[in-house]
Amino acid sequence: MQHSLLILFLALAAAAIAVFIWVFSSSRRASAEQSGMKSPLQKRLWFILILTVVLGIFASVTLPKSPYYLFANETPAAVVHVAARQFSFLLSQKAIDPEHPEGEDSIVLPANKLVEFRVTSLDVNHGFAIYSPSNQLIAQTQAMPGYVNRLRWKFTTPGTYHVFCLEFCGMAHQIMRTSFTVK
Amino acid sequence: MEASRLKKITALWIVIVLVLFVVSISLGIIMRLNQGEVLHLSPITFYSDMTVHGLTMIGIWFVAGMAAVNYVMERYVPTGKGANVFALICTVIGVLMLWASAFIGHFHAGWTFLYPLPFRIAWAAWATPLFLFSLSVLTLGWLVWTLSMMTALLRKYSFTQVFAWQHFRNKNPEKETPPFVLISMITLVGILTCLIAAVVLLVLLFAEFYSHGTFVNDALLMKNLTYFFGHTIANEMLYLGLAVIYELFAEVSGRPKWKTTWYVAIAWNLSLVFILTAFFHHLYMDFVQPEGLQIVGQLASYLASLPAAGVTVFSIFIAVYRNKLNWNLTNMLFFIGVAGWVVGGLGAVIDATISNNFVLHNTLWVPGHFHTYNALGNVLFSLGFFQWFSLQYAKNPVNSRSSGLMLTLLVLGGIGFLAAFYFGGADSIPRRYSNYPDELAAGKTLAIIGGAFASIYLLGILIFFVKVSKRCFGILFSRS
Repeated sequence: MQHSLLILFLALAAAAIAVFIWVFSSSRRASAEQSGMKSPLQKRLWFILILTVVLGIFASVTLPKSPYYLFANETPAAVVHVAARQFSFLLSQKAIDPEHPEGEDSIVLPANKLVEFRVTSLDVNHGFAIYSPSNQLIAQTQAMPGYVNRLRWKFTTPGTYHVFCLEFCGMAHQIMRTSFTVK
Repeated sequence: MEASRLKKITALWIVIVLVLFVVSISLGIIMRLNQGEVLHLSPITFYSDMTVHGLTMIGIWFVAGMAAVNYVMERYVPTGKGANVFALICTVIGVLMLWASAFIGHFHAGWTFLYPLPFRIAWAAWATPLFLFSLSVLTLGWLVWTLSMMTALLRKYSFTQVFAWQHFRNKNPEKETPPFVLISMITLVGILTCLIAAVVLLVLLFAEFYSHGTFVNDALLMKNLTYFFGHTIANEMLYLGLAVIYELFAEVSGRPKWKTTWYVAIAWNLSLVFILTAFFHHLYMDFVQPEGLQIVGQLASYLASLPAAGVTVFSIFIAVYRNKLNWNLTNMLFFIGVAGWVVGGLGAVIDATISNNFVLHNTLWVPGHFHTYNALGNVLFSLGFFQWFSLQYAKNPVNSRSSGLMLTLLVLGGIGFLAAFYFGGADSIPRRYSNYPDELAAGKTLAIIGGAFASIYLLGILIFFVKVSKRCFGILFSRS
């Protein structure tokens, strides 16, 4: 998905830069008698209207795909409790007691079934970002002290999934990670 | 006498901003080279640099906009020189305190200083209060300046006139509100609002820090307040720059002055609403935030682009398209800056879409888009003003060859430096990592490329710095 977004961005950026260059070169070529754009107000209003419609379509297509609505009406086949703390993750299929936090050594999750991660933090804000076996970020949520974020996901590819902290949390932020297996 | 004082204060602002900019870019390059494993800093040093880099950059380009708006505003209303000097003193003291907390005390909670990270002390114990006091000093200085400017405007224009409401219905109102006045006022309201949020945030942080455990804040509320302040002020600095463009672009290009029309008035009034509500997009990945606010975040981020593109960018096109302009370094910087702002805006709109943010949040895409509309947008707006201002009092003619070289270095260096961020974001490389894990080794190569191109950008800035600061020193030490 990210690579499609990059291509979209590069295409839009190239188009925008082309328009700027075209407008600039029209000025460089212009003679003193030329009088600029014809009916600018009409063109401006058309431009705003088209942009509004495009953004409206984008919003109506993308909003329902927001992670808050993912698999909202399904019952998860597995629940993983996640407690983040400087600079490690505790993962457990049982609830984690914040007074005596303990995680499980290895977590194995079913493929093609709904998994719910209940993510919180025991100290500062952290990120809980799941990377696919090919090291692409596929889903994430934040780990915030005092709150539990519920992230739902179906893993289609078996393998080892890494989790990295994506919210800056202090001096060893870059080594804060864990992993789990999907079978 | 008063005009001469303002001139000297503005020249001093410019020199300070440029010096701090060179230092901050250098810190940025050091960070990229460390990520590329060309340099080997300790993570603490890296994150202290990162904290200074982020906050100094936001601070200096905000005050650059302030200095520019203050200078131009004198055309319309007399401004308070005391408030200008006070803001300058507070900025210098605030930045020095910030640097001391980070470079000496090793404070490294990032520019976002997300609660409760500043209280998980992994640095000198005095560095946290010093950091919080540095923010307080900056906030105080900027608040006094903002209130002083608003008061100055409201002395001449009524409440409805300063927001150009008379233009909504009447094509030729009795009293016209110049676009510069309208945009400045809209921006000042936004600045005042986010600075009030900063005051609330700081009061809550101080309350917890000095309560020794008897008072504890709510992490979600603190995050909302942090981004309401941080996102909005970073946005408003852009709008300060745009106010200057509305005033100067036509003037330096030898074209008729821009006027406020009904659509300019409506667009800018609406943009205030969008600017103040777009910050919710920073909390998309906090699923406990009410869903309504998440949707407001996406819609406001989208809607903010309508007045920006439909009014400001289109006005630039109308001014330039098939019109013979007196092209010079000032309006070239403005024009390229608007292009950079648009490209950065495209990256921002993509990231402000919740379903995209799910895979882009806190990856290098984020610094990609905001560095685009800073390094190739807002910075160029301010450099355009610095060039125009310093030339007002220059004795030496402009050297167009070095101007061309400078622009080439800025654009070439900027594009390469930014591309490394966008490609990194698409490769899921996290931001704010001092070093990358082996699984994300592509980040190392991209960091070296980004650092190399940022050095080219820095070279362009150094050429500009030498030329403009020479003129500004001339102004500072002149007798008139």
